[in-house]
Amino acid sequence: MTNAPTQTILDIKAIIKHQRNRYPVLLIDKIVDLVPGERATGIKCFTYNEWFFPGHFDDEPNVPGFVLIESLVQTFILTFLCKEEYAGMKTNFVSIDNIRYKRKIVPGDVLRIEASLKSFKRGIAIGSAISFVDGESACSAEFVVAVPAILDQFKPRTKSV
Amino acid sequence: MSNLEKYVDAFKETFMVQDSDLSDLKYQDIEAWDSVGHMALMATLEERFNVELDIDDIIEFSSFEVGQSILAKYNISMS
Repeated sequence: MTNAPTQTILDIKAIIKHQRNRYPVLLIDKIVDLVPGERATGIKCFTYNEWFFPGHFDDEPNVPGFVLIESLVQTFILTFLCKEEYAGMKTNFVSIDNIRYKRKIVPGDVLRIEASLKSFKRGIAIGSAISFVDGESACSAEFVVAVPAILDQFKPRTKSV
Repeated sequence: MSNLEKYVDAFKETFMVQDSDLSDLKYQDIEAWDSVGHMALMATLEERFNVELDIDDIIEFSSFEVGQSILAKYNISMS
């Protein structure tokens, strides 16, 4: 884990402006470090009021794996959606690789997510994210994400039938 | 490896197709050659041939056959 900045760079209003996830699947609370086109650090605070805890599980509440991955990728996409020219564009997963879960996340945990953008070209973003709770590794993954609005600009011309 | 072999390999690796499927292959003929697959193919070709394709050429690149004439503009001959 890098030295931990805590100052809010993007608050929840700015996050909502720059990316399209909304309740109940907006899974980051703030961005505390941001270098557009390079990296972003996001914070997600999990409370027992989260919609998934009653079902996962009633006797042992912990964050489902897919929620963790979504938190990671939502931080990741802000590495490029923070740029005004891409703000508000929708994104789709192309692939997720090398997912590692190291720690159970429970109500009260604060997840710190450090995302890196390796490349962003013609609407295809490649990168990774690692995450921590209290300095302990929690979850990591590598992503390829597409931005359809940009991809569409590069689609081959096809003859209409 | 010849330019043609590199070109064929780029298609086979990107789309998991056989040699026999290539000669008539066009954009959207197979599921793998969608808009995302197209970007993956362009990135692979740029890496293999050490070129940067113009936007117009990426849009014109609509088939295995057309792609060869587009790469010829970058002095990449398949013959």
